[in-house]
Amino acid sequence: MPTDTAMAFHAEGVTKVYADGLRANDALDLRIAPGEVFGLLGPNGAGKSTLVKQIIGLLKPTEGTLRIGEHDLVAHPEIARQLCSYLPQAQMPIDSFKAAEAIELTGRIRGGDRATVRARTDALLEALDITQWRDELGMKLSGGVKRLVGFAMATVLPGRLVILDEPTNDVDPLRRRLLWEQVRRLGDEGCAVMLVTHNVLEAEKSVDRLAVIMDGKIVAEGTPSALKAADRGQLRLQVMLSPGVETPESPEWVRHPVRVGNNLVATIDEDAASAGIDWAVGLMGQGTAEEYALGATTLEDVYIRLTGHASANGEDEA
Amino acid sequence: MTTTATLAPVSLELRTGPRHWWAGFRSMITWHLVSLRLWLVLLAVVQVLSGVGFVLGFGLFFEQIPLSVALFVSTGVPVVNLVMTGMVLGPQLVADQKASHSFDFIHSLPVPHTASAAAWYVVCLIGGLPAVAVSLAVAVWRYDGLPLAVTPDVAPALLLTAFTGTMVGLAVAHAITSPMVTRLVTQVLVFAMFAFTPILFPVEQMPAWLGAVNSALPLRHMADMVRASLTDLPFENLATSYAVVGAWGLVCAVLAVRALGRRR
Repeated sequence: MPTDTAMAFHAEGVTKVYADGLRANDALDLRIAPGEVFGLLGPNGAGKSTLVKQIIGLLKPTEGTLRIGEHDLVAHPEIARQLCSYLPQAQMPIDSFKAAEAIELTGRIRGGDRATVRARTDALLEALDITQWRDELGMKLSGGVKRLVGFAMATVLPGRLVILDEPTNDVDPLRRRLLWEQVRRLGDEGCAVMLVTHNVLEAEKSVDRLAVIMDGKIVAEGTPSALKAADRGQLRLQVMLSPGVETPESPEWVRHPVRVGNNLVATIDEDAASAGIDWAVGLMGQGTAEEYALGATTLEDVYIRLTGHASANGEDEA
Repeated sequence: MTTTATLAPVSLELRTGPRHWWAGFRSMITWHLVSLRLWLVLLAVVQVLSGVGFVLGFGLFFEQIPLSVALFVSTGVPVVNLVMTGMVLGPQLVADQKASHSFDFIHSLPVPHTASAAAWYVVCLIGGLPAVAVSLAVAVWRYDGLPLAVTPDVAPALLLTAFTGTMVGLAVAHAITSPMVTRLVTQVLVFAMFAFTPILFPVEQMPAWLGAVNSALPLRHMADMVRASLTDLPFENLATSYAVVGAWGLVCAVLAVRALGRRR
């Protein structure tokens, strides 16, 4: 991993208060080193997008500093646009562009020479397994392929900080793996990567460190293992409720129960495993539940505990 | 499958100066033209049809249209053609980008705001100039003896008219944050342009107070500049017209670039 720490991304005391008084970011401190893939997790409205928009110069912090190395991104948004590349959550405006054309043109706009940009475009198309659509207009691409083209546009000539907002939305599982390989390679090449998501399980496999943001504040930060350490000695109890039933009342020892669709997810102590099984079986006997699963806790359980929200692993978000 | 991507060429050096500006300007012209690719032909056809429609349509008001009237209309139509793309289509495109949240990506590209605005100006010229030529050609064909007299001033007149129209549009597009309000304002602009500005009819036919209002606005002066460059008609205070249109263009350009760089 490159050690060019002089070009690390720093956010210090970043606070954003909108005109209506909403405090979207509250004294955020973050550091992302070159080569590091950093996850920024949080439910909708937590303040993730506000932070990103301040980094790329769409919003101005009320207080605090944003820097890459010695470059002050708040004072010089034009420098921020050169040092950061950005994949927004919304689809790229490429209906009229052929896939390869959109990637190449973005590379040229980012200052790449024609030969380098063309080679990199071809390589990305192949690496993401979307070469067959290289001459297809954006309006004819599926959502997933369009998303991958957007990823290639954002990374064809990446900046020192690459911000990826929900990069795998609509992407099929096979190509998701290819995309994560490319994210890893960005880190290997020395980019700091900020992955903005509320898909916790995906982030757990992909990031070096992460922060959970809630109500504009960072409520936890560390490696996935470090964050899960607090849940050591805990088990994840997942009960699939029968459709249409009310959420059953949980015993006191069932912690942080959250219902997502018909899934009731909670944590229990390891020594309460037997009681947990008995409770779940009892629910099944009453017709309240159809099945249950007991297993090791995941980062999602940490996330639920910290935010009170389930993550968006293809299901609705609380 | 095997990953074969070459290593990512991370940007290391900050780019500044005229070469950076010029590269951004050229790239953004391409970006805008490709963005409009699906609609460019349709846009050109609509532009030509609206220009030709005015040229031919006004003739239907008269059994025998006086050549002076035909000349007035025919030399006003280029202004409509030149400002339509920048003043109306431009803000609506930006409103669409904001509504679909794709504006954030375009705004994040490392292009100087002045280069981006200048590129859009060139695109508006490309969208307007062919329609100007066709409209004038149709006027000559339709009205025998039309006393057109194209002078060298046609270049600065058309370029300045398109510039100011484009910059007014950019200022509207970027100074107004709500896409819906932007769309409403452009609708009002179109209505006001055709109904209450002396582009296709003489200012003398307007109430004096409305004529006075138009004297402070750019459209009437654009019409005078373009008309003077296409005819032998005498115009007083042409320098004033250039000054008013130029001032509007500059002020709106500054407003547009500032609004582009404004962070809430």
